[in-house]
Amino acid sequence: MSTMTAGPAESTLAAADFDTLAGALTEPEALAGARAAAWERFTALPWPTKKSEEWRYTDLGKVGFEALTPVVPTPATAEALSADVREVLGRSGERAGVVVLREGRVAHLELEPEVARSGVVLSSIRDAADRHPEVLRRALLEAQPGPAEEKLWALHLALLGGGYFLYVPRGVEMPAPIHAFHIVERAGTLSSAHSFVYAESGARAAVIDEFLSDDLDAETVSLHGATITGEGDAGIEYVALQRFGRGVKRFSTQHVTAGRDARVVTFNVALGGDLSRADVTSRLDGPGSDSEMLALWFGDSDQHFDHHTLQHHAAPHAHSDLLFKGALTDAGSSVFRGLIRVDKGAQLTDAYQTNRNLLLSEGSHASALPNLEIEADDVRCSHGATIGQVEDGQLFYLMSRGLTRRQAERLLVFGFFDEVLGRLPMEGVRARVREAIEEKIGL
Amino acid sequence: MSEPLLSIRGLRAKVDGEDGEILRGVDLDVQRGEVHALMGPNGSGKSTLAKVIAGHPAYEVTAGEILFEGEDVLELEPDERSRAGIFLAFQYPAEIPGVSIANFLRTAVNSRLGEGEEMDVFGFQRTLTEKMEMLRMDPGFAARYVNDGFSGGEKKRNEILQMAVLRPALGVLDETDSGLDIDALKVVASGVNRLSEADEALGVLLITHYKRILNYIRPDRVHVMMAGRIAESGGASLADKLEAEGYDWLHRAVAAV
Ligand SMILES: Nc1ncnc2c1ncn2[C@@H]1O[C@H](COP(=O)(O)OP(=O)(O)OP(=O)(O)O)[C@@H](O)[C@H]1O
Ligand SMILES: [Mg+2]
Repeated sequence: MSTMTAGPAESTLAAADFDTLAGALTEPEALAGARAAAWERFTALPWPTKKSEEWRYTDLGKVGFEALTPVVPTPATAEALSADVREVLGRSGERAGVVVLREGRVAHLELEPEVARSGVVLSSIRDAADRHPEVLRRALLEAQPGPAEEKLWALHLALLGGGYFLYVPRGVEMPAPIHAFHIVERAGTLSSAHSFVYAESGARAAVIDEFLSDDLDAETVSLHGATITGEGDAGIEYVALQRFGRGVKRFSTQHVTAGRDARVVTFNVALGGDLSRADVTSRLDGPGSDSEMLALWFGDSDQHFDHHTLQHHAAPHAHSDLLFKGALTDAGSSVFRGLIRVDKGAQLTDAYQTNRNLLLSEGSHASALPNLEIEADDVRCSHGATIGQVEDGQLFYLMSRGLTRRQAERLLVFGFFDEVLGRLPMEGVRARVREAIEEKIGL
Repeated sequence: MSEPLLSIRGLRAKVDGEDGEILRGVDLDVQRGEVHALMGPNGSGKSTLAKVIAGHPAYEVTAGEILFEGEDVLELEPDERSRAGIFLAFQYPAEIPGVSIANFLRTAVNSRLGEGEEMDVFGFQRTLTEKMEMLRMDPGFAARYVNDGFSGGEKKRNEILQMAVLRPALGVLDETDSGLDIDALKVVASGVNRLSEADEALGVLLITHYKRILNYIRPDRVHVMMAGRIAESGGASLADKLEAEGYDWLHRAVAAV
């Protein structure tokens, strides 16, 4: 593990900010306690610098945290669905519920009555802290990320504006996903939200987190965390669709725990923002558990995307498969850094990790750092990464049918992405993601 | 006589960045509504000519000109040539995993319509289904990835499907007949004939090694390419002679020059 030294961007986020923030809340002990402890850790920890392996290609020193205005969480409000949200929902498939978060604050929350009757709980985190404090506490504890992520994680928890809590009881299968919208509206703010997904044994849960904003004219930071837990034989599909406008820098820390024979699919799509980092950990906690980790990104202009992953095999007979694909044009850049870690007792592990990059321009740049750390001796693991360009033969073929070079390149990007999209189980979710990608890539 | 659909004069070309010339002075005229067959031994330059007409970036034209409907096309990008009405059915079509035939062809059709005039999905689907029926293709084909895992014959049929949807003024068919069984050959040939009937001005340059396709698509002229030049031209009977006698007599004739 690398050591972290105090960097140039040592926090000056004033302690006063936290007090104002915490003072504005009267929250259950489960949350207030976690918040205060997180603030303490945040102030004690140094910022990770480019000297740390995990942050070598993404310079946190260039993010002006101290100049941002932390969003003071206000209690949930009950607004009607706004036009932009309704517009997206109108083009999306079936859903079991809708959550709208504005800079972390829960502004709208609805669950189909039929789904609610089946025992599924969808609430704000705050309400969950009242009613299910133990589940929340445990999930948060388990989700503690690696040392390199700790600083941001602490900030995320300390400033947590809100979030949602989805609980699917034993054996209940959600017929369609919850569609959550994380909306950032005010430039210059620092806000934070969390997604909790908990599926009891044999349950099926599905969520799509969609992140959006207009183009903002000042640096704005959105912090996000996701804690996704599947008990024995549970099935979870989780999608994070990031289509922020320019000006937004986004950091998402996602933690998956898969129990015995549980199957979890996570899918990260990065399209928007100036900088977007997702740190995704899958902990294969029970024998026979299965984690499929998928991601797609398309970067143009000077966008920077960073994906940092851990497939942690803590139990034997588990399977994990990671497929991340990115395409870049203009001066876009990306970094993938992934690790498969197999604990000593995790025999008969099956773990795969693939990152493929497609560069469409001279000015674009991708780094790929796949890695293995294996302590068991009877495992099947592979990891690989490629960085390539579109094939001339394919390009000419498409152009000889009248497609401009740009159209041909973009169509080839679609083709490149299709393999990953095809792995999303729910058709409605797949269609929504495809549409968002089409909108970004343009044809 | 009106200006030819395609007029090639003194065309010389080589692989970009290399020395040896592949095309060494090609002269060829195709009038509107005519079918020309281009034959010749392996490696004589037929595909190179086809690809140079379509604007393949791997080749450099060192001399000569290609006029299409009177316009010099050598300065045009491949996509501009396509939109101008030139179509090449490839001898070896590229495979594009992840891109469906329907998606690809709709993009291609829309690329030649103005902004805001794009064909709607249903209109396009109708056209595509109709052309696929004409070529006796399974409707499920439209959803398959372009040429990905296709058999040789399926690839060739897919090329003609694209020609049928894109309706070019000139079709250059590079060995579209090879790899086809006799039934498929008839279907593809009748597809091309239907296109000729629908558009009497359609010009076809049909590159082939075999006379059998010429029994279905009657050529107005037959040319033989040898070592980068048109060594002999004649009527349909020239194909019979080549079938019976091979290229030896031409080799000798070329060597004697
Ligand atoms: N891109 C290329 N790079 C190198 N050599 C090439 C290239 N294209 C063509 N050639 C060479 O040019 C010559 C003519 O090739 P071409 O494919 O045009 O022949 P052809 O007449 O179509 O042959 P066939 O009947 O076998 O299809 C051959 O010697 C071939 O190897
Ligand atoms: Mg050839």
